[in-house]
Amino acid sequence: MNRPSTRHRSIRAVIAILIALGCTFSTPGTAAAATYAQIEGTGSTWSDLIVQQWIADVNSNGMQVVYTGGGSSKGRKDFSLKSTDFAISEIPYQGKDEQGNADTSAGREYAYLPIVAGGTAFTYQLNIGNQKVRNLRLSGETLTKIFTNEITSWDDPAITKDNNGRSFPKLPITPVVRSDGSGTTAQFTTWMDKAHPGPWRKFFGKSGLTSYFPRKGRAVSQAGSDQVMNYIASSAGNGTIGYVEYAYPLDKDYPVVKVENAAGYFVEPTEYNTAVALTKAKINQDKSSPLYLTQILDGVYTNKDPRAYPISSYSYMIIPTGKTDTRMTTAKRQTIADFMFYSLCAGQSKAGPYGYSPLPLNLVQAGFQQLAKLKTADPKVEVTNRDVKSCNNPTFDGKNLNKNLLAEKAPQPEACDKTGAGPCGTETGQGGAKPADTPSQAPAAGGGGAQTPAAGGGATAAPGDAPTDAAVPGTDPAAGDPGVVTDDGSGTTTDTAVFASATELEASRPADNAPFGWLAVGLLVALVVLPGVYAASLRRRPGTTGARR
Amino acid sequence: MSALSAWWSERSKRPLAVAGVALVGAALLTWAPVGASAADEPVVVGRSAAAKPAYSQTKRLERVFVNAAGEREVQIQNDVTVTADQTRNLRGRQRINIAWKGAQPSGGRASSPYGEKGMAQEYPVVVLQCRGVDSASVAAAQRLTPETCWTATNLQRSQVAVSRGAAVWTKDLDASADYRQPFSGIDPNPASCKSAVVPDLWTRLTPFRPLKGTAFPACSSDTMPPEAAVGAAFPPAEVAAFTDTEGNGSIQFEVRSDVENESLGCSNKVKCAVVVIPIVGLSCAQEESPATPVDQACRRGGQHLPGSSNFAGQGVDAAVSPSYWWSPSNWKHRFTVPITFGLPPNTCDVLDSRPATGFYGSELLAQAGLQWAPAYCLDKKRFKFQHNQMSDEAGFNLMEKGGGAAAIVSSAHERKGDDPVGYAPTAVTGFGIGYVIDRPNNAGEYERLRLNPRLLAKLLTQSYLGSDLGRDHPGIKENPLGLMSDPEFTKLNPGLKLDSQETGATLLGLANASDVVEQLTAYIAADEAAMAFVNGKADPWGMKVNPAYRKVSLPRSSWPLLDEYIPKTGSTCRQQNPAVYFSQLAAPVPTMRRISESLLDAWPNVQTKCEYDAPTALYKVGRVDRQSYGARFMLGLVSLGDAARFGIRTAALQAKGGSYVAATDASLGAAVKLAEREKRYGAFEISQQDLRRSTRAYPGTMVVYTAARLRNAGQEDADKVAQFIRVSITEGQRPGSGNGQLPGGFLPITKRGVTAELYAAAQEVATAVEKQRPAPTPKPSGTPSSTPSTAAPAVDAADPPAAAPTGVAPSAAPSAVPTVSATTAPVATDPTASISSGTASRVMPTLLLIGLLGIALASLLRFVVQGPRRR
Repeated sequence: MNRPSTRHRSIRAVIAILIALGCTFSTPGTAAAATYAQIEGTGSTWSDLIVQQWIADVNSNGMQVVYTGGGSSKGRKDFSLKSTDFAISEIPYQGKDEQGNADTSAGREYAYLPIVAGGTAFTYQLNIGNQKVRNLRLSGETLTKIFTNEITSWDDPAITKDNNGRSFPKLPITPVVRSDGSGTTAQFTTWMDKAHPGPWRKFFGKSGLTSYFPRKGRAVSQAGSDQVMNYIASSAGNGTIGYVEYAYPLDKDYPVVKVENAAGYFVEPTEYNTAVALTKAKINQDKSSPLYLTQILDGVYTNKDPRAYPISSYSYMIIPTGKTDTRMTTAKRQTIADFMFYSLCAGQSKAGPYGYSPLPLNLVQAGFQQLAKLKTADPKVEVTNRDVKSCNNPTFDGKNLNKNLLAEKAPQPEACDKTGAGPCGTETGQGGAKPADTPSQAPAAGGGGAQTPAAGGGATAAPGDAPTDAAVPGTDPAAGDPGVVTDDGSGTTTDTAVFASATELEASRPADNAPFGWLAVGLLVALVVLPGVYAASLRRRPGTTGARR
Repeated sequence: MSALSAWWSERSKRPLAVAGVALVGAALLTWAPVGASAADEPVVVGRSAAAKPAYSQTKRLERVFVNAAGEREVQIQNDVTVTADQTRNLRGRQRINIAWKGAQPSGGRASSPYGEKGMAQEYPVVVLQCRGVDSASVAAAQRLTPETCWTATNLQRSQVAVSRGAAVWTKDLDASADYRQPFSGIDPNPASCKSAVVPDLWTRLTPFRPLKGTAFPACSSDTMPPEAAVGAAFPPAEVAAFTDTEGNGSIQFEVRSDVENESLGCSNKVKCAVVVIPIVGLSCAQEESPATPVDQACRRGGQHLPGSSNFAGQGVDAAVSPSYWWSPSNWKHRFTVPITFGLPPNTCDVLDSRPATGFYGSELLAQAGLQWAPAYCLDKKRFKFQHNQMSDEAGFNLMEKGGGAAAIVSSAHERKGDDPVGYAPTAVTGFGIGYVIDRPNNAGEYERLRLNPRLLAKLLTQSYLGSDLGRDHPGIKENPLGLMSDPEFTKLNPGLKLDSQETGATLLGLANASDVVEQLTAYIAADEAAMAFVNGKADPWGMKVNPAYRKVSLPRSSWPLLDEYIPKTGSTCRQQNPAVYFSQLAAPVPTMRRISESLLDAWPNVQTKCEYDAPTALYKVGRVDRQSYGARFMLGLVSLGDAARFGIRTAALQAKGGSYVAATDASLGAAVKLAEREKRYGAFEISQQDLRRSTRAYPGTMVVYTAARLRNAGQEDADKVAQFIRVSITEGQRPGSGNGQLPGGFLPITKRGVTAELYAAAQEVATAVEKQRPAPTPKPSGTPSSTPSTAAPAVDAADPPAAAPTGVAPSAAPSAVPTVSATTAPVATDPTASISSGTASRVMPTLLLIGLLGIALASLLRFVVQGPRRR
């Protein structure tokens, strides 16, 4: 008994001394593993939402990062002017932009570093009666024709065909595009140029991508992803469709188009479908190419996996790698290295909840190769233990690098999402099914609108429950769902039933609340009063009273 | 100090904690803001303003000309007093208030006073951060000189290749012979600055000496330190601030530590100072005879009137501009305010392999989350905490599905899963209507904005017209263009400019769902006058609600864009980009942080700029330009945490009987006093109806909760959540700027006082979360009791028919009633759902059934048992 306690005492003494020493000698920076200096950057709004969260996260590590967005084009330009320490962009330096202006780093040495993946989503507002359509599906061809003004009405046969015969109202389509120089626009036009060159090149007048969408006709332009989202979600937005990173509709609880992939399935840009698609992303390894180390997405566009979302891509950070870069110091380089180490690894775990997709192994590895250049530029930069093995990235296991955990977990699309089948009644823009939920996906979605008190109180949970609820408010007979869905009578009945419950019950409720409430009050009063009145009337009949007994 | 002392008395009773507390307390006391001119200072929740400024000094500043005859002529003589509110233990990016009086009134105000943009002004007050001690007695290396003062561009510190007539520094009365050389400031001239030597042109460099390494010559942007940049993403802090016509002025100056600015290198070990130089104009050496152009230039007195603006960026008289702050006669007018930086907080190791546990939700906690996180990762006994900001609802859903260990929310949310959820109070804070408004004639910022629910309703319902573009909007053609032309606003806030700006028509708000929007709209909904306006009644001045928002249901958690009016104009750009004008004015953003940044930059998010873009040959719409200093007017919805962090002013909101309440410790406390909890483990509700009965409670007060499942959460997560709740409710409530402490903008929750109930509730929920086994039946107090009472009349209603007859009836009726109510009861108690039509819909079937039964019974008895009635 005695020995341990003395040992404890001596341990305590040692600890006390150590703490005292620590207090005396520890100096900021030397106590921590690294000394950091603030870094600043501008660029992409596509990745802004998650980058801001990472910046908040690394604050606890003593790293100060300032990022102010402004669009990819601005990001590349500011970097070339040496106003910033890094840029974030969806596309590499183009050499010359489409207007012939220089789009280069102006001699500043740099490297591209993939930071986060995501799907370019197509969000829309399309109302039938009071209901929002939430399960629209479109082929790439149709999408391209919509944004190149070839398909101009929601009742176009091509759209009906994509939706397996389900037709939509005769309503003009209003594409909403970006007015500022945008990486999202560049991603989208790259895909159109590669996958559907016919309509795109005819519309654009040339081949290739552009950061500035050539708005024509009915299309409207908005500055920034958030303003595109605002426009579509506003009251005046019926009939609009626009392209934004998936995070925006997810935050806004807005539907997105299921896009047809090479395997013939209509899929949503969930973190899973994006991760699966990007397993086919290649990186340009040609050192002589100006696009060295940038993404080659041709394989992504044509990925045959039934889960793959075709318009998947990732954002780059452009980092300065020059030995004599006048804006760089050891502390700044260290901050870039560690900020990115966090982002590529642990930071990827929150990509899903924020509407992005974690980078798979091949891209994380490419990222670490680029970070190593910071050490080449400045040997004092510490990069030991910052590698894929110590990486808390959710797509792979540091011990078994060959597995893409996320792609393995990714749920297969529903049968009703196949070309020529369906359409599924499930809602989009909800972050997609969690892997475990896959079998129960459809019923779960059917219950999405079931927060209504009627459904809760009914408690019988029959399949007919939802449609009954729909009938209660009774304000929008025009939205008679069966008629909408089974236009040619070929719609699958089960799917129809699920869709009929759809979603917008909740949204259409507020307007119904008042009349429904009054109805309830009326009924209540009637319930209290009528039986009595009835009973009384029975008794009060002439003769009855006296005749009784 | 009240919060602090309350905490102190509470904690010091624990003998064990005394030692540690003493240390922390001492740190806090030294930290506590000592100073500040009180009244015009924005009040920060959780931070008491001190009575005396930390720095105050008065100096006599003179501008002297020596005439051709060699006589001294004093042109200007000012007794200037400079004060600073805090100077000790500062942190990087902290803002300190620098104020002055008795200075020369400024003229030609620039649209932005920061960095090189502030150079085109006359008689401003230059405020810079410099390294070193301002004393001749210290070693040269430690001495504060113009060469250790930071500027973001070389243009602010060097004059390169200017004409003889513009080289005014050469005539400075106090300048040494060195200054009179055509090329001076650096010797020998390095190769990188050879191009600055031009025959017949004059150059004066003020190199920058970094903490380590060799000096940067500062003759071009390439010879400046790494942190310097033109148009940087990180805005410059040094400022040429404006003095009003009375000689007064003030500025929130952002100090920077070695983390933000390594070259400047200020830290707890490196002494620094804020240097304040009121410009009274260069003093000029003996005039030549006849006077040369440079003699005349040195003697100029300014071309802009005091109080005027110079948004066009016209030229200014060099002799009274801020560009020559380093010239000896300006430099000797400096007030040196020594500042010290606190020990930088310890930081987490980026190589720490423990995975972080994410709590998802409300942005209201953002500033606290930033300060709390290191207190977790640095302690091996704790888990690695991360606060992931997203909408309350999304965070709550993630928590329910197991995607996040806990949610950070600020109201009760409807459960979608089966597991009960506990709400542990974690912070008391709220929202504010942030504003930046300049008074007319460059008389400084407006500091006492007052708003009532109807004005907020007018802004939110887009009932102001904005500009002529909104004039033809159906139904509201006679409405004012913006707040400035609304008599209700101008009566409440006198002394503002009356000319309309588009930004007077909008309150920058959130695009996505948030509990903050819910609380804001509840505030409007609880006000009769505001609701009458929303429901279509014109205000006393005849302003009507935008028909698109008429009778919009309130409160609501997200604010929709409902207007559809597209103006008809002759503008080609607008014809090419038809858009809903009012939606462009509103242009809500996804996060409150963005709103705070917009306010800080005075850059409204109004998207009405429409112009031809030559390079792309397209007509484009986009965000309007930054507002100019002196003409700023912008409102936005901010969190009190952000407001405190960035020094954003927030409006006083109307409370009972025309009183206006600003966010303070007392007003948040008064609101918390009104908070009620319906059931155990549930969220407190601060009802707006109750708030409106108080004259002292701040209507924007909100409690932030850590919400977690009480069942099926997984023990590991549950333990972490319980730990977080306990730590954040105790050490997380100590006000301070250190790791784990509570930042400004939050009212500390304490064991005693108004927040006692919150404290107790948090402890209780922590235990319940840890146990993962909810108490059998929550003690009924609020909701449960309401259910039986609504059910009761149902039984009564069924009574008469059942009771009237005899015979078979008794056996049927009692059996029917219990079964129905039995199925109803559990459903009714559990969910936290709204009480409105939900209860009705549940009780209705019961009533209906009972009623029908009664009727059936009555008829049965009448017709079957007793036989048809005789006629």
